[in-house]
Amino acid sequence: MKEAILKVRNLKTYFFTRRGIVKAVDGISFDLVKGECLCLVGESGCGKTVTALSILGLVDSPPGRVVGGEIFYDSMDLAHCPADQLRHIRGKEIAVVFQDAQSALNPVFTIGDQIVEQIRLHLELSHGEARGRAINLLKEVGIPSPEEAAGYYPHQLSGGMRQRAMIAMSLSCDPRLLIADEPTTAVDVTIKAQIIDVFLRLKKTRKMSLLFITHELGIVSEIGDRIVVMYAGRVVETAPAAELLDNPRHPYTSGLINCLPDIEQKRGRLESIPGNVPSLINPPGGCLFHPRCGRAMAICRKKQPPPVNVKDGHTVFCHLY
Amino acid sequence: MTKGIKKLARVVGGMKNLVFILLAVLWGLTLLLRLFEPLGYLYLALGIVFLIYVVWPLYNSRRLVGYYWQRVKRNRLAVLGLAFILFLILLAVFGPIFTPDPTAANFEQKNLPPVGFTTSESIYNPQTAQFNTRLVNGTREHPLGTDNKGRDLLAMIISGARVSLQVGLLATGIAVALGTLIGVVSAYLGGKMDNILMRLTDIVMTFPFFLLLVFIVFIFGPSLAFIVLIIGLTGWTGVARLIRSEALSLRTREFVLASKALGASDGRIILAHLVPNVISLIIVIATLSIPGVIMAEAALSFIGLGDPAVTSWGMVLRAGQQSLDTSWWVAVAPGAMLFFTVLAFNFVGDGLRDAFDPRSNI
Repeated sequence: MKEAILKVRNLKTYFFTRRGIVKAVDGISFDLVKGECLCLVGESGCGKTVTALSILGLVDSPPGRVVGGEIFYDSMDLAHCPADQLRHIRGKEIAVVFQDAQSALNPVFTIGDQIVEQIRLHLELSHGEARGRAINLLKEVGIPSPEEAAGYYPHQLSGGMRQRAMIAMSLSCDPRLLIADEPTTAVDVTIKAQIIDVFLRLKKTRKMSLLFITHELGIVSEIGDRIVVMYAGRVVETAPAAELLDNPRHPYTSGLINCLPDIEQKRGRLESIPGNVPSLINPPGGCLFHPRCGRAMAICRKKQPPPVNVKDGHTVFCHLY
Repeated sequence: MTKGIKKLARVVGGMKNLVFILLAVLWGLTLLLRLFEPLGYLYLALGIVFLIYVVWPLYNSRRLVGYYWQRVKRNRLAVLGLAFILFLILLAVFGPIFTPDPTAANFEQKNLPPVGFTTSESIYNPQTAQFNTRLVNGTREHPLGTDNKGRDLLAMIISGARVSLQVGLLATGIAVALGTLIGVVSAYLGGKMDNILMRLTDIVMTFPFFLLLVFIVFIFGPSLAFIVLIIGLTGWTGVARLIRSEALSLRTREFVLASKALGASDGRIILAHLVPNVISLIIVIATLSIPGVIMAEAALSFIGLGDPAVTSWGMVLRAGQQSLDTSWWVAVAPGAMLFFTVLAFNFVGDGLRDAFDPRSNI
C-alpha cells in the first residue's frame, strides 16, 4: 500500500445556526494515496464542499466550525494548525479549483496579473520570471496563444478558457495536492470533456494527488482511482473506482448508478431515488438513508451501521452486510 | 544621443513608457519645488499616491479609459464640467505667475470696476466741504477690478481657486482614503470588528462637524493645513458607509474565497481584491464630495475663521459683502466662481456615476 498524502479521520464540521446545529460533515474518514485521484461523490448538500473547505480551514466561522477529527497532510494536522501556517500551505502545497471560474476570478484584473500575483505570493520570483511561468502554465492547461490570453480580463474569455485559467492559477506553485470542487459543473458538455482531459494529463505528467469533488458518476469513471460516496454528511461506501461502479453494495450507491441514463435502454422512465436529502438539523435516527431506502430493515431505524469490509479496500456502511 | 534614448526606452519597456516616466519626473520636480509652500508634504504624498494608483493604472488600461470616456462624453454637462475643472486647475497652477500679489494693497486704485464697466466715485473734499463725484472706468491692468483696498480681484480669484482646489482635493483625498479603508475592513472582517468600526462611524457622524471646525480653529488658530485635516478626518463617515455596503456584497463573491484558498492574507485580499473592485464607487463619491468640502472652507473663511495668510474665495466674498452697495463686483466674482465650481464637480460626478453604472444605457 502506498503512502497516503491526506488522511481524514472522523472529521466533523458543524454549523451553529439559529435554527439548530447543522451537522454538515459528521464523522467522515478517508485516505488519499499519493499520486491518485480520490473522488468524493454525492448529491447536493451532502457535505462534499464543506469537507474540502474544512481541509483548507476555510469554513466560514461563525457559524461553521470543525468540531472534531483530524486532517493529516503528511504528518501535519491541518485541523489543529495555526492560521498563519495554514495560509502558507494553501495555494502552495494544497490548491483548489472552484466550480465557477466566472466568479472565482477577480473581474478587475487580467488573468496574467492574477496568476503572477498568486505565484509571487508563495515563491520568490521577479515579476518577469513570474510572468513567464504564468504563460507556461496557461500553455500547459491548453490555452491557445497564452501570451495574448494573459492580457485578457476574465469576462473576455469563454467559460472553458476561464476554467483552464483557474486551473493554471491553482497549479502555479506546483501544489502536491489539488482539490477540484465540481470543476465541470458550470461548463457545457464538450468543455467538460476537455477539462477532464486537462486533469487527466496533469495527473499523469505532474504525479499530483487529486481530490475530485463531483456529483457526476460519468466523470468519476473516467478520472477516479478511488471513490468515496457521501450521504448527508457521512460516508456510506468507499471502494476502488472500477469495483464500486461495477459492484455497488450500498443501496444509495446503486441508486445513484441506476439514475444514470442507459444508452442501450430505448424506452422507460429514468430511475430516481425517491425522497430528498434529510434535514441535517434534525436527522433521522440510525442509518440516515433508511427513509429513502427500499431495503430498509428494523435495525436501520435504530442503529447507525458500522463499517463492513466486503472486499479488500471496499468498505460499506450498511446493515445488509 | 538617439541611441542612448532608444536604449533607455528598451530598459523601461517602450518609448511610450519613457515619455511617461519623463513627464512623471518633471511633475515630481514641480511638486518638489512646492515643498516650501504650506501643505507641501501632503501635496507630495498625495501626488505620489495619485501617480501610482491613478495615472499609472489609467495609462496601462487605455482601452478601458477610452470606453468610459465614450460613455462620459455622451453627457454634455459632464464634459462641460470637466472642461471647467481643467480650466480651474490650469488657472490655479499657472495663474499666479501672471497676476500680481493678491495681498498687495494699493489705495490709489481702490474700488476699480471690471473692464468695460463704469462707476461713479464720490470723494469728500474738506476744503470745499463738498462731494466731488467723478466717473471711474475699469482698467486693463485690473481686468476684474479691485476691492476697497485696491487689491487686484483677478489675482484674488486665482489665489482662491488654488486654495479651494487644495482644500477640496486634499481633504477629500484624506476622507475618501480613510472611509474606504474603514468601510472595506469593516465589511471584510465582519462580526465584532464591523460593529466597533460602524459604531465609531456613528459617533463621528453625530459630531456637529462645523461646530467642531470652529472650535478647533478657535483653539489652535486658523491654518489651511488644520482646516484640511479636520475636514478630512471628519468627512469619511458617509464614504465608509457606502463602501461598506458595496464591500459586503463583494465579500461573499467566490473570488475572495478563491484567493483565500490560494493563500492570500487578509490584508492582501482587502487591498488587492476588494479595494480595486470598489474603485468606480470611490471615484464617484470623491467627485461628488469635493463641492461640499469647498463650500465648507468657503463658509469658514466667510465667517472669518479661515487662514488669514491665504486669499480664499470665502474671504473675498466676505470683503465683497461689506461693500456690496458700492462695489458689487467684489462679491459677485468669488460667488460666481464658487457656484460654477460646485456645479461643475456635481455634473462630473453625475456623469461618472452614469458612465460606471453598467445598467444605465447612455
